[in-house]
Amino acid sequence: MKLTRSGSIAAIALVGAVALAGCATSGDSNAGSDSSKSAEATDYSKLAGTLTAGGSSAQANAQQAWTTAITAQAKGLTINYDKSQGSGGGVTNFTAGSYDFAGSDSPLKPEQTTAAEAVCGADGAVNLPIYLDGVAVIYNVEGASDLKLSGETIAKIFNLQITDWSDAAITKDNGGKALAAGPITTVARSDGSGTTQNFTNYLVGTQKANWPYEASNAWPVAGNVSKQQGGSGVVNTVKATAGAIGYADHSAIGDVKAAEIGVGSDFVKFSSEGAAKAFEVAAELKSNGVEGDLSQSIDYSKITTADAYPIPLLSYAITCKTFKDSKQADLVKGYLGFIASETGQKVAEKNAGSAALPASILTEINKTLSTIK
Amino acid sequence: MTDSTTVATSSASEGAPGPAPRQGGRALTGKGSGRAGDKVFLGLSSGSAWLIMVILAGVAIFLIIRSLPGIAANWETSSELNSGPTAGFANFWAYAGPLLWGTIWAAFIALILGTPVAIGIALFISHYAPRRLAGALGYLVDLLAAVPSVVFGLWGIIVIRPFLLPLEEFLNTYLGWLPFFSGTVSRSGSTILAGGVVLAVMILPIITSITREIFLQTPRLHEEAALALGATRWEMIKLSVFPYARSGMVSATLLGLGRALGETMAIALIISPSILFSLTLVTEGENSQTIAANIATNFPIATDLQRSALTGTGLMLFVVSFAVNFIARWIVARTGPGATRKTRTRTPKAKTA
Repeated sequence: MKLTRSGSIAAIALVGAVALAGCATSGDSNAGSDSSKSAEATDYSKLAGTLTAGGSSAQANAQQAWTTAITAQAKGLTINYDKSQGSGGGVTNFTAGSYDFAGSDSPLKPEQTTAAEAVCGADGAVNLPIYLDGVAVIYNVEGASDLKLSGETIAKIFNLQITDWSDAAITKDNGGKALAAGPITTVARSDGSGTTQNFTNYLVGTQKANWPYEASNAWPVAGNVSKQQGGSGVVNTVKATAGAIGYADHSAIGDVKAAEIGVGSDFVKFSSEGAAKAFEVAAELKSNGVEGDLSQSIDYSKITTADAYPIPLLSYAITCKTFKDSKQADLVKGYLGFIASETGQKVAEKNAGSAALPASILTEINKTLSTIK
Repeated sequence: MTDSTTVATSSASEGAPGPAPRQGGRALTGKGSGRAGDKVFLGLSSGSAWLIMVILAGVAIFLIIRSLPGIAANWETSSELNSGPTAGFANFWAYAGPLLWGTIWAAFIALILGTPVAIGIALFISHYAPRRLAGALGYLVDLLAAVPSVVFGLWGIIVIRPFLLPLEEFLNTYLGWLPFFSGTVSRSGSTILAGGVVLAVMILPIITSITREIFLQTPRLHEEAALALGATRWEMIKLSVFPYARSGMVSATLLGLGRALGETMAIALIISPSILFSLTLVTEGENSQTIAANIATNFPIATDLQRSALTGTGLMLFVVSFAVNFIARWIVARTGPGATRKTRTRTPKAKTA
């Protein structure tokens, strides 16, 4: 990793970070203690330097939106987010010390947390949820425009137990209105994916009886499944194949129709508020042991109301608590602080089609960020 | 990969005595500056020759070192290998076996479909087409080689998949008793047949351009002798062109095979893959995955040990590609009297380089 910045730029960066840290809720870092005044609108213009990061492609569009938004203010800041790495590559490069932070669809595993200590020192690494979206169940069925599917039906369809659109279970979900008979083609991801992970998490979490597989980032069902590369591959194949049903990151489905998912006796369409509500009620802190870590575990059984979208998709930023270079720490704090601000979340919602995280978790993230040094 | 192009080009320059230009060069420049130039050039060219050896050895060593943990690991107990893309396999060989099969199977389908067409085009260009058309056609075929494989992949998704669907349904309905066409017929079209068709198009330019060059080198006297004996044009080709070009055709085909074995993006985009041994051509859920596509699709999300396992499959691909090239050389050295002579004259030249 090469970082090019002159001494004066570094000084400016430090000043900028001091201003930033002032906004954090608790100022126990050395920078935060210098200034206790908190400005309403944070000034990012003094951040300068280069951030090297990469990982999850799910949050890539959001990362791009955030980068564009913050560099519009901070002219000297360069952010390189490499989405080609995927979550696994992001974590590998992070634990090898070549990334300032990694984007990942799942928090660090225990052995990865240990591995990260080699780079981050004894303080370890923290997982910060920064990106919220939903997994959409998309379909292409002749004559159906507002398909409703209960969790049980979804599990049975994707497990190839329901193979025809005229099946009684589907008819029942749709208020007795039967669809024209036709074979169902399930479309899944052929590549390892955080979307698959979140979708199978949901199926495992809610449909144990009808879903005999474990949650995984690789699609577990063998048989007559169409497996396509990338979220766009799934979306395009569903679009082009009559009778197809698949799952994809909601922000990537374009004009393909998404089913309303059953929650209790209601059916819920994806909405940004719905995803945020689901996160609010179902996300439980499951810390990796590092102080300030915000790894979440979604308890799907808590999503019971019609105002919550039942298949949220969460993606993390993983970063060190202690940096060898405090200027770099300030850049990471500045950028992640922007992401975890209301403005940052709105930017992603508007430009990347994701959902804004609830304010409570943003406060938590900023609390953790303020301890990074 | 470039080595069998030398088969074609070296036979082209067969008439010219190899060492002559060098001697001439020395005789002309008796001065020190010329010798220095000679030395520099010798150094550069032999340096390049060594460099390629070093690179090749480096790749092999890298693959072996990186893949050892994955190959040696206990796949039954490792939690890392029992999750994600490598889940559900007893050991490395159970994982790599089907992938190896899928790689060879997809390439084989491409060869079966592509080789006859490629040789047909080459023959048309060399012996049937009017000169102007031949030139243009040869140029077009060479252009095909410049199309990036992602473009082929997209073409496969958008055009070939739906185009082949009716054929696949027909084959499945009426010839479903054959293992190749059995199973549940695909409805999205992402079958290994579609992948094979696109692969076949991708290997066309390699096979065509090499065989074309060789067909053109058929000694005029052989052809005229055949015609003088009353042979039709097809008989003339059968009697004089094919026997002469046999080894070249084989090596061109094997080069095409090498290209097909390593093809990644087009396969990854078109085929709906599963890791299993399968002969079926028209299904959605029973297409054997290829090594290259499997690495490309799963590497990003894989953890360290999973990556090591994927690298191990890469090592297998490396070995297979190597074997294919060796077989190609061996066949070239064996078949046809003309070919034997060619290889013998070529070997010392290669050594001096």
